[in-house]
Amino acid sequence: MDNKRLTSLIPAAALVLGTALSGTVLAKGPALKEGNEYMIVANYPNNMHVIDLQTDSLYKSCDLPDAFGPGVTQMAPDGKTAYILNNRYEDIYGINLDNCDITFHAKMSLQKNERTKSIFSFALSPDGSELYAVQNPTMLNRDHYRVQPARLAVYDTGSGLDAKPVRTFPSPRQVTVMQTGADGTLYMAGADIYKVDVNTGEVGVAIPSRNWERPLYAPPDVLNAWPIQAPSKDFTILYTTAKFQDESYNLDAADWIYGFMNINLETGETETTDFGPITEIYFSGVRSPKDPNLVFGVLNRLAKYDIEKKELIAAAELDHSYYCVAINHDGSKIYLGGTFNDVAIYDADSMEKLGNIQLPGGDMAISTSQVFIR
Amino acid sequence: MKHLKAINNKAQLLSQAVADDSVEEVVAMSSLAGCTATTDPGWEIDAFGGVTSLCQPMEADLYGCADPCWWPAQVPDMMNTYPDWNKDAMNSKEDWRNLGTVFPNDKK
Repeated sequence: MDNKRLTSLIPAAALVLGTALSGTVLAKGPALKEGNEYMIVANYPNNMHVIDLQTDSLYKSCDLPDAFGPGVTQMAPDGKTAYILNNRYEDIYGINLDNCDITFHAKMSLQKNERTKSIFSFALSPDGSELYAVQNPTMLNRDHYRVQPARLAVYDTGSGLDAKPVRTFPSPRQVTVMQTGADGTLYMAGADIYKVDVNTGEVGVAIPSRNWERPLYAPPDVLNAWPIQAPSKDFTILYTTAKFQDESYNLDAADWIYGFMNINLETGETETTDFGPITEIYFSGVRSPKDPNLVFGVLNRLAKYDIEKKELIAAAELDHSYYCVAINHDGSKIYLGGTFNDVAIYDADSMEKLGNIQLPGGDMAISTSQVFIR
Repeated sequence: MKHLKAINNKAQLLSQAVADDSVEEVVAMSSLAGCTATTDPGWEIDAFGGVTSLCQPMEADLYGCADPCWWPAQVPDMMNTYPDWNKDAMNSKEDWRNLGTVFPNDKK
């Protein structure tokens, strides 16, 4: 390279370096404040945003490594470390939200030619010391692919940036979202809602879903992509179903019903409860921490149901579809995320819109938003 | 199946499954997971036979369906096959014009 060309490149190099530096400094942002309430959301191209729920404004943004997708998140009980399933469903990262440092990284593929994905399925132990992921490995052979048995992998969250499982167990297939109870039981939503002993790998059924036995009910249809860590400590899974009038099983006369399967993560108590007729579709739902008789659902409208009366009591029209519903700890505000790059805020009592928070970057798509207190 | 002739790879696999008497190994999914729920209503028509419960606008649902390979016939599978489909359209609402169609390669 001649001198002239080298000289001409220097300003460009300085510019690139300068941009990178200022980006890094901005990305680190301020530390979170003890006792404050925040929400995390993730979006394209690969950001994690922290929203301050005292002011309902963007507090800081962290850049994430590798590729985005799905952006499923879980907050650690320390209120500081956010975990995210990303890099096209193949890696789980832990991020210190105070300084945006990556503190944990598990590449889930464990051997050469193995491609392993997790379909929204990871959770943290109640003390945050372990991370559980149901993994779906495929061996990519030169002439054919071979699907491997699903496995439950247990990671020590202190394992750093090259984390390997400390235990693995066989897992049922088709597992999606998961949460842990206060006693350490792992609940996994799949064909049924399983309960798993994370030390022995023993799998039982907490709530039958595909195999429920409710007279005159059709099997449930379940959409389950958002592992919402609800302030009420409920693991709530919406279903739709049909209830026949009698044993003639006449579909034309059947009632079409929305309901939820619920695990109280504090007590382990389970329930399967219908909460209203199906009049529209909700992608996610959350129970109110203020009034356990209220459940909210969202997709094209934000709807509020009285569970006991099985009645829609209020609904708000939305500017566009939102996938993921979140509620703050006092149950006063609803935050809608997913799809595009804005979070919509609603008053949980009046269902009036309070505003929007625009996010830098692109779509949140199918990512999970989580509300937490530092 | 005697009046239907399989012309693509997936259809040939279905025919083979019938021939091998392995259809019983396939069970309906009540809890959905990527790349398999292709008969679920949701893009062309909603669960009620209408369109009001489809995502609004449809761009709001694009990457939520492409990322997890939810409807790989309707939206490119970004999980494995077309990971960079939206590299010029991070913000689907603004950049959707940069999204193209995709074509699978014929198997040699």
